This record gives sequence, structure tokens and C-alpha cells, in this order.
Amino acid sequence: MPGDDRSPLAFGESILIVHPDRKTQRTVQRILGITGYRIDIADDLEQALRLLVHAQPVLIVVDGAAVLGDHAAAFFAAAKARSVDACMTLLGGPVVEHVPKLLGLGAVTNLLVHPMPVLAEALTITAHKLIRRDLFGVEKYLLWGTELHAMTLTRASQRADHVARVGEHVRLLGQSARVASMAMLVSDELLSNAVHNAPVDAAGGAYRRDAARDTEIELDAQHQVHMRWGCDARYLAIEVTDTWGTLDRDTILDALARTDVRESGGGAGMGVALAYRSCDHLVFNLAPGVRTQVIAMIDVRYPASERVPASSYNIFVERAP
Amino acid sequence: MTAAMPEARGRMTVVTEGDGHLVIGSALDETSGLLDLLGRAANKKLVLDLAGVTFINSLGVRDWIRMQAAATKAGVHVEMRQVSEPVVHQLNMIVATRGTGAVTSFFAPYACDACGREESRLVDAVANADALVRMEAPPMACPECGQPMAFNDFPERFFSFLATS
Repeated sequence: MPGDDRSPLAFGESILIVHPDRKTQRTVQRILGITGYRIDIADDLEQALRLLVHAQPVLIVVDGAAVLGDHAAAFFAAAKARSVDACMTLLGGPVVEHVPKLLGLGAVTNLLVHPMPVLAEALTITAHKLIRRDLFGVEKYLLWGTELHAMTLTRASQRADHVARVGEHVRLLGQSARVASMAMLVSDELLSNAVHNAPVDAAGGAYRRDAARDTEIELDAQHQVHMRWGCDARYLAIEVTDTWGTLDRDTILDALARTDVRESGGGAGMGVALAYRSCDHLVFNLAPGVRTQVIAMIDVRYPASERVPASSYNIFVERAP
Repeated sequence: MTAAMPEARGRMTVVTEGDGHLVIGSALDETSGLLDLLGRAANKKLVLDLAGVTFINSLGVRDWIRMQAAATKAGVHVEMRQVSEPVVHQLNMIVATRGTGAVTSFFAPYACDACGREESRLVDAVANADALVRMEAPPMACPECGQPMAFNDFPERFFSFLATS
């Protein structure tokens, strides 16, 4: 509790919000105030840079349009120097066209594009995960009581059957053919990545990357891939976990920013890029050398025409205790 | 008259209709061998009915792009009919999937404000070409209550594949 000796306030810990609009500042301040952290506010990156000299925020929330300004590079460098890697951006409808440029920066690890009130949910979950350093699990994104279905891939050839089962099950839950199709595409890409791209040898070589995807491979305990999914009538969420932990932040940011996927569809990283473009929110939970977990969420609440035509993402990296 | 038996190619199914056009169904993935379909072209024309395609993964997309590139190189015109929403999704995401062929009809999402019914409706891309160029969805009536249905996506996003097809 604030005022309590154990509270973040007692240690002077803070969250920094950078946004030019006073009303949005207040809205975000109210949402993040529940964490118990002191909230510092800057109108622009120049002011935020000055604040960073005196403060070491645990989290920085930046307006997406501001991130595209002249001071962006200096700001991200300063944040990184202060060990704040959790720079988030918020993007409203009119600035969604800036998403490709923002992805091109290769420095934004959390992007939330939802309008209110969904933004409040996503922002709160993101902040709690970062502050508590409790990253893993699809449960954090679903309502209490949501039934989760689990499957483990013990042979590579099971991928197609598992994907088909997800599609059938989503339809049985009363969701549209479109949602089922998106769920199948995302499941397939994430499972394929976990089976073929995650395993590495002692030298770091991905020894299954070039194996034909239709080749049968028995998967031992280390190579098995775990999948869970559930729907709480807000989101259909699909979680895929491998026990390698080889996917890294920069590889993900490169894949998300790829423009040649749109032009040619070719090359490595296409699976991540397609999954991102086929869901509403993609979350990467990374424990380097231990496990990688990707959670894809498809919004089943609002019709496509009422949603923001861009997707959110988070990249969380587990830090050593 | 007996219906043609579907031919299984991996998880994809193919039915050759009497006029030679191919009805493609189910999943396009690494097992589909789409390049081989070019051999079914007649008079430098390949007609694909894609209404039954429910799923394409990235490897199916890659195969599809190779097929389109080979068709262009061989001077084969690919006509895509009744293109399902999952295929439209890929055509919109990846420009190269469009090739130099033409989409003559496709399915698009509609929703009825009056009764809440959501449905994928077939749009004639030729008859509605002028409206689609203006990014306007053709009007549709709800088959359940008869009220006008609203287009259920962003027109600028959903119809973008028509720009180069």
C-alpha cells in the first residue's frame, strides 16, 4: 500500500508517462496509479530526457507519435542506460499508420494500439507483469474461470491435427469461421517455429530450421512443444511454449518490422510476421536459454470494423533474480 | 450424373469440374504441391475455385507465390473464383500472392445490425468493379431478416488486394 514501508513509494520508485495530451496523461495516470508507484509526467521526450537524469523509472509509457520525433533515439538510449527497457507506446486510431515506422525503430518492446476501455486492461496487465517480474502464463490475459485446453506435440506430424482440432473447437465454441481460420493460422505458425526454429545445438546452430516441415520427427521431452488455448468471450488466446528459450528480442523486433513479408512473403521470420498480422495482440515471454512462450490473442468482442486496424505486441524478457 | 471424386494432395483437396476448372478445398500447406496444378491449365488459362479453402499457412503461401510466379513466366492466366476469406487475408497481407491473375469473385464479411447475423457473402468483383475501386462494399440484404447488412471490416484493408489483381 502507498505510505506503507514496503510500498514502491517508500523507495521512490516511479513510472514515467510521456504524452502531449493532458486528458490522456490523466487517464493513463489513473490506470497506472493503482500499481502504487509514483507517476511522473512529461509532455514530450525532451522533458522526459531531463526527468530521466534524476529518476530511474521501472516503466516508461510513451505516446506513439512522440516516439517518432527527433529525440527518439536519444531517449531510447538514455532509457537503456538507466536499465529501463520497458518502453511502451500507446497508439490511437489516427496514428496507426505510423506503426511500420515505429516498428522500424527496433527499440519499442511493447506496443499497445487498443482504444479505451480495452487499452486499460492491456496497460494494467503489461505494467503488472513488468513490475512483478511474473511474465509467464496465458491466464493473465483471460477472465477468472476460463477453461484452458492443453495439448503437447510429441511428434512433428501432430501439428496439422492439433491445428485442425483448434479450428474445430473454436467453431464449437460458437465463434465465426474467420476467428477459427485466424486461430488455425496463428497456431500453425507458432507450433512450427517451436518445433523447427527453437532447438539449437551447443554451437547455437538451429539444426531443424531447414528440415522439411512434412518430415516426421519424434520429439523427446526437451523438444516437445506445449500448447494451451481458451476463450473468455473477450479473447481467444493461444499459448505455445518451447523449452529452449532461443528466441530473442532483436530477432522478434526484426520479424515484426519486416516489410518484405508484404512484398514477397519470403524468408525466415515469416511465421512470426504472419502470426502478428493475423491476431490482435501477440505476447512474447522470454526466459533466455530456458523457455520461450508466445501468446496470441484474437479479439472476439468487437467486429473487425470497430477495432483498430493494427495489432499490439509485448516482448517480456525474464531477468535473473 | 455423378460428382467428381475429390483428389487428396496432402491436406488439400482438388476436384476437376467438367469445364476444367479446379475446385480447391481444405488446407494449403507444405503438402499441397501447388506448382503441379499449372499442368492442369487449358489454353494458357487456369481457373481455381477457392471457396472451400479454410486455412493457409506460411509454407502454403510460399508454395502459392511460386505457383503464381511460374504461371506468369509460362504465360498462364490464373483466374481465382469464389476466393474464401482466409485466402483474401493472405492476398491482402502479401502482395506477391496476387501474381498477375484476376479475382472474379470473393467472399467478404457482412453483419446485420438488426438481428446480429454475421456471414461471409459472395461478392462479384466484375459486376461491382466500380464500387470496389472506390472501396465501397456492395449492398447486401440479411438472409434472415431482410434488413441491410453492413460490411464488417475496414474497406481500405479488405479490398486492398483488388488494387493489383
